[in-house]
Amino acid sequence: MITTRRYFVKLVGGAAVAAGAGLDAGPTRAQAAPVKLGVLAIRAGIAAPVGTAGLRGTEWWLERVNKAGGILGRPVQLVVEEESNPKDTVERYRKLVLQDKVEAVLGGISTGVTLALGPVAEDLGTPWLSWDGTTQKGVDETMPSPKWAFKSVDNEVEAIVAGILTPKYFKGIKTVAGIGNDYSYGHDCWESYQAVLKRYIPDVKFVLELFPKLGVTDFTSHIAAIQQAKPDLLMCSFWSGDATILMKQAAAVGLFKTMKGVFTTAGGVHDSLKKEFTPEGLLLGYNTMYFDDPNGSALLKRFVREYKAKYNEYPPYECDHAYFNAESYRVAVEKAAGGGTTWPSRAAVVKALEGIEVESLSGRRSWREDHVQMCNFYQGLTTHKNPYDFVTLSPLEVVSTRTAMKPAGAKLFDWINSWKI
Amino acid sequence: MQKIFNLACGSFYALGAYVGVSAVSWYTSAGGPAALFVLPLALAGLAVGAIGFVVERGLLRFVYDRDETFQLLLTFAVVLMMEDAIRLTWGTSPQSTSALYLTYGQVRVLGATAPVYNLIVIAASLVIALLIGGLLTRTTFGRIIRAAADNREMVEALGVDLRRVYARVFTLGTALGTLGGALVIPATAAMSEMGIELIVEAFAVVVIGGLGSMRGAFVGALVVGVLRAIAISVYPELEMLLIYLIVIAVLVLRPRGLFGGAAA
Repeated sequence: MITTRRYFVKLVGGAAVAAGAGLDAGPTRAQAAPVKLGVLAIRAGIAAPVGTAGLRGTEWWLERVNKAGGILGRPVQLVVEEESNPKDTVERYRKLVLQDKVEAVLGGISTGVTLALGPVAEDLGTPWLSWDGTTQKGVDETMPSPKWAFKSVDNEVEAIVAGILTPKYFKGIKTVAGIGNDYSYGHDCWESYQAVLKRYIPDVKFVLELFPKLGVTDFTSHIAAIQQAKPDLLMCSFWSGDATILMKQAAAVGLFKTMKGVFTTAGGVHDSLKKEFTPEGLLLGYNTMYFDDPNGSALLKRFVREYKAKYNEYPPYECDHAYFNAESYRVAVEKAAGGGTTWPSRAAVVKALEGIEVESLSGRRSWREDHVQMCNFYQGLTTHKNPYDFVTLSPLEVVSTRTAMKPAGAKLFDWINSWKI
Repeated sequence: MQKIFNLACGSFYALGAYVGVSAVSWYTSAGGPAALFVLPLALAGLAVGAIGFVVERGLLRFVYDRDETFQLLLTFAVVLMMEDAIRLTWGTSPQSTSALYLTYGQVRVLGATAPVYNLIVIAASLVIALLIGGLLTRTTFGRIIRAAADNREMVEALGVDLRRVYARVFTLGTALGTLGGALVIPATAAMSEMGIELIVEAFAVVVIGGLGSMRGAFVGALVVGVLRAIAISVYPELEMLLIYLIVIAVLVLRPRGLFGGAAA
């Protein structure tokens, strides 16, 4: 039995070598070994749709790049691993770099995970470009000058954008209630939103804060408490299915007939915010990509069209983070190669990434010198005047991270308090 | 009655929710009137309860006499498998029945606005509780169930085929879980991990009410639900803590729960 199997393996191996030799004949093929990129995507739990969107964005990029001849003539291959808890994800990250020998790792969404990934990326000396995860503890940066780690925009940016836009669209707000998930993102968004709003409306009162834990699917009691507190405005930083549920349960008791609403991040589940239960005139944040942007590029329009055709959904922002990461890596490799065909060193790629600006789905996006994403945030008032069965934005506001994200090295609340308003 | 710790009851709830969403979207796309959507919803929820029969005959009957740890491991395996099966079938995005929740409008009750659908669910729960109560106390089948819970050997010695009773009881329990999942879904959205969320609360309910007691489960559920609602209004930080404080207090002061029998 053993002899037979060995013989078989030899035979198959021999055939493969022969076939490979045949294919590799000629010097033009020398560069064509595929380049492997690792991808970390959340596949299970509440953030699975976000991870799925990121992966789809990366796959769409992959198809285009390979059709156009790959990077420096090398076809690109993805090695996809799951992002789960910090410990297991760090193990998978090590596996990607040490065993699969990927050139770079893309992905990472949960800051709980990416906070742990940052030091590992530095240690292993391979570029890591994070879709949506930071290395912040709360609102404070833990890795101010990384060498290999490239991080998402600061978590609290959308709350800051919403804080800036709130006084512009809603006049006479005196009392505000907040609801967010009971973890770092929810609390940080609420703190930042309050700090910004206080700068514009110094006598604003924050009358209620609710922090249900992630994954709660019944907000009836929370909504009753909000009604009781009678705020002029409700701020909510939900970003997953809970945003849809809250919206529906709020509609069932007519909550937004008596108050304004700000949903900093619910654009993450935008096509589930059906017109029947999502009122017009709420401030809604789409994070960094708005699929229906009237000024959107041809690239965005094509992506939206193909995404809809393939998945029967309209793409959320995570696609754009993922596309930007992969595309910036491609452009940086070509820049570092300086017009030649020799694959540059990893250090040279990292150097090329710093400050690079590329065309992403949402428009031009760049990496700040300290490895933080720079981009635009899309927010606006909800409207029913569109051909879809869910709400879209009109008017649309586009706010750059240059305005709404703390500069490198700054302390968040000192920075907000230093604004001249 | 089966003296089995079934962690998978949360998964049945989740399954009922997903099947409910599918049934309702099929019903709506087939042009059914919106006002009657609870019928396909409830029927689908009940029908998918048949999976309880498969799980009981296919898996659980092998571990009745084993250590409780095995039962926990087995049912936990079912939880994980069901979660993945749901993800495979319905995908990772939350599924919902869109705006059907608002079909029945709202009423003012004691100065508060309440969605009529919520009242329908409350009424349905009461009817189900009464029916179960009636089944347990007034029918022969109910008497056999109660007797078997007390003393299996004696019931078997009297000529009752316990295998059939187990299968029927477990299927009934499963159908209640799936029906519950289906009924709750218009007001919220189905997510693959909703089963695990539920199980934690269900255990709190059972501990407070007392293992093996129907009245206990009813009162325990009311205690947990109402206290959470009050906590959110009065002092939101206490919401989860309060439930566990009560669980601890019950475990320390009255380990068998409010209505539990001495043996539990």
